[in-house]
Amino acid sequence: MSLTDVLTTLQGLPLSTVIAESDWLFPTLESLHVIAITLVVGSIIVVDLRLIGLAATKRPLAAFTTQFLPITWSAFVLAALTGSLMFLAKPVSYVGNVFFLSKLALLLAAGLNMGAFHLFVERRAHQGQALGATRAFGLASLTIWISVVALGRWIGFTI
Amino acid sequence: MLNAFAAWLLHTPVTAFLENAAWAVPTIQTLHILCIAIVFGGAVFINLRIFGLIERDEPVATVLGRFLPPMTIAIIILAITGALLIASEPNRAMFRVVFWVKMGLILLAVAATWTQRRLILAGAARDGGAATLSVRLVAGLTILLWVGVIFAGRWIGYATGWPGSPT
Repeated sequence: MSLTDVLTTLQGLPLSTVIAESDWLFPTLESLHVIAITLVVGSIIVVDLRLIGLAATKRPLAAFTTQFLPITWSAFVLAALTGSLMFLAKPVSYVGNVFFLSKLALLLAAGLNMGAFHLFVERRAHQGQALGATRAFGLASLTIWISVVALGRWIGFTI
Repeated sequence: MLNAFAAWLLHTPVTAFLENAAWAVPTIQTLHILCIAIVFGGAVFINLRIFGLIERDEPVATVLGRFLPPMTIAIIILAITGALLIASEPNRAMFRVVFWVKMGLILLAVAATWTQRRLILAGAARDGGAATLSVRLVAGLTILLWVGVIFAGRWIGYATGWPGSPT
């Protein structure tokens, strides 16, 4: 079964048809997606600005990672769920859209960036060491997430 | 009067620019969403603190003082980018009921946030800032209003203009 077959099968699902044809379902999913994205980005900005050292440097880094990253993750689950449902409405068009593919690639990059920070730098960052690396990871994260929002907006104009 | 304003706006250089530069509208919308992230995120974080769900080691007034200034700047940028989005298609948003519902909800949300600030600062001066029932009620109301603003904003793109609106 090729990718095209999979996508065509997805597009033919009753759920896909319901989302594609309903007058209110798609805008509702979009609204929930916006709510989720703003919470993902809003909470990650808090952590990133602390990592970069632009805000609240007197408060320990752990105070932000423990309090705000759970919000990032919960909101990300909602964003991924609503995003997948919107994808179901037109899977063939989305997979052929360069902005959609770039957005997925950047989401992967955001995950790798977070994972690398956690593995290699976080422990030292909590002790106030590796300031340069900490700053670089924060800056990378901020850049990636702003680009994710921009690409999401470009999908809307090109799909 | 609204028709005359839209007709005037349509022939301004701003509209001409926004219609011709394909990258302009998505860029403005991206900025608009990033600022929504700051305003809505800030509102949610302040309210999670009020309900004791995050940052329990920080006073409510401190968390409020951290998020309110960037939220205020973001609101100003939202007004500017929002005005530019109207100018990009003058015959659209202003002639839809849901656009004016959104404007009304924004005024209420800003008023609720301001009330919240007053209650919290008064509480902090009085007894160290225990979250009273009124603070909690306003907190819940603020979030509901911002969620309403986001839904109404998305619906502007789908609603049709009222009878007699320009095309």
